[in-house]
Amino acid sequence: MMKNRKLTGKQKLERRKEIIVESLKLPKDSMLGASIVTVTGNKDAFVENYKGILEYSPEAIVLQGKTCQISIIGKRMSIDYYTNEDMKITGCIECVRYHNG
Amino acid sequence: MLQFIQYLKGYVCIRVWGYSPERFMNLCSNHDILLWNIENCGEYYTMCITVGGFRKLKGIVKKTGTKVAIQKRCGLPFFVPKMKRRKIFLIGLIGSLAFWMWMSTFIWAVDISGNYSISEDIFMDFLRENDIYVGMKRNKLNIEELEKRIRQDFGIVTWTSAKIDGTRLEIQIRENEVEMSTEREGEEEKGETQEEFGKNPYGSDLVAEEDGVIVSMVTRKGVPQVGVGTEVKKGDILVSGSVPVYNEDSTVKFYQYYDADADVFIRRQLRQREELPLHYEKKEYTGEEKKEVVLAVMDKDFILRLGKIKYENFDTVTDKKQVKLLKNFYLPLYYGNSVNREYIVTDNIYTKEEVKIIFSEKLIKYIASLEEKGVQIIKKNVTINKGQKSWQMDMDFQVVEKTGKNIAAFPKIEAEETEAGQENLDGLDTETD
Repeated sequence: MMKNRKLTGKQKLERRKEIIVESLKLPKDSMLGASIVTVTGNKDAFVENYKGILEYSPEAIVLQGKTCQISIIGKRMSIDYYTNEDMKITGCIECVRYHNG
Repeated sequence: MLQFIQYLKGYVCIRVWGYSPERFMNLCSNHDILLWNIENCGEYYTMCITVGGFRKLKGIVKKTGTKVAIQKRCGLPFFVPKMKRRKIFLIGLIGSLAFWMWMSTFIWAVDISGNYSISEDIFMDFLRENDIYVGMKRNKLNIEELEKRIRQDFGIVTWTSAKIDGTRLEIQIRENEVEMSTEREGEEEKGETQEEFGKNPYGSDLVAEEDGVIVSMVTRKGVPQVGVGTEVKKGDILVSGSVPVYNEDSTVKFYQYYDADADVFIRRQLRQREELPLHYEKKEYTGEEKKEVVLAVMDKDFILRLGKIKYENFDTVTDKKQVKLLKNFYLPLYYGNSVNREYIVTDNIYTKEEVKIIFSEKLIKYIASLEEKGVQIIKKNVTINKGQKSWQMDMDFQVVEKTGKNIAAFPKIEAEETEAGQENLDGLDTETD
């Protein structure tokens, strides 16, 4: 019961944060730590705001975002470049999936 | 651009394997070490890393329990020490660069376009006369002067453009149309003659150029001396340029001198004979041919062939191409091939049909040339005869053509004129009296 209340409290806090950011028209990526994934066609994907790589194989690249995990699934996947700020993924992208938690 | 900077700075391609390569990558990015071209090759990962970044890897490798091996060193920092060891190669590289730069200061090809009536050989001779040749220094060529000279020397050229494209001199010209040019020439000639006669204070007479009978005559200036139907001979005066001015008593007061001008058409006979030998030599190709490779430097040809040419008579057809680097860097080197075709000369006799065909072609050409000149053919009579040594075609035409040539007139009536003038003066005196 306590745990549930705690979670709802965290969610409430998140919600409040979102409302403030939206009403002040602040950038969500820097304020909420949201990742930005830009997919061009099904060949290239640019990812910004992430913590690191969790898994890297030719079939899937799993990234740890600040709020969630991002899986980019496809074929012949490779990382063109990888820096602290952003990265570029190339290959035949089939699916982009977010896992909360 | 980014690749060029990376090349200048230098980078290494590494192989990473071990406990947690993903963590290795994350730590690299956290330490601001740029990684690119990261590929998963199953058991290991390959990636490129900057030289500075590679030096910082020691701690990361220890932390992550991975192993790193260099696969390839790329970029200028690795290339220069390698080159320092290969001095002769470096000298050769710089020498060849200098050589190509020096070669590019010459003109190695001349292209002419737009010329129809001026043949390429004539144009090349003209260029040689003006010290423009293949192999000359580029900076010695004065393009504006060249364009000016082309326009001056070839009256037919109405527009010209010369430009240097790489090592090639490209000349484009535009010629005046042939008919217009002949008209202009005609006008110029006319102008000149008029100027010449203009200098003559006694004008000029129009004189017949051929014998014949006048069929039509329109006089613009001068006094006609003949009429339609008159038979004239070569040299007869058709229109006199001296125009008399009469007194009241119809005696000549004085003469006004003009350049006679008239359209006079005469009918005359035109005879022409064409001959064709009974025998002729004919080339018959045997089908035997020998190919050879031709290499040329400047004007010198080097022929590479296997064995000797054993043919007695043969034709050689050569096809040469100029060597060029990229699009416009022409070099004084040529390559190509030539074919030597053997032929046998056979002595043949014309058959009557062949003679007829050849003569009729000649006749058509001759008639066309007459028509071009503005000659009208009224009657024609053509006979073909076989002589002892040759075939003969006698062409007998009755034609109507324009005639008349201006010839400077002499003041043969000057005495009369002065007398008349004096009489006139006397008359005037009497009148005043």
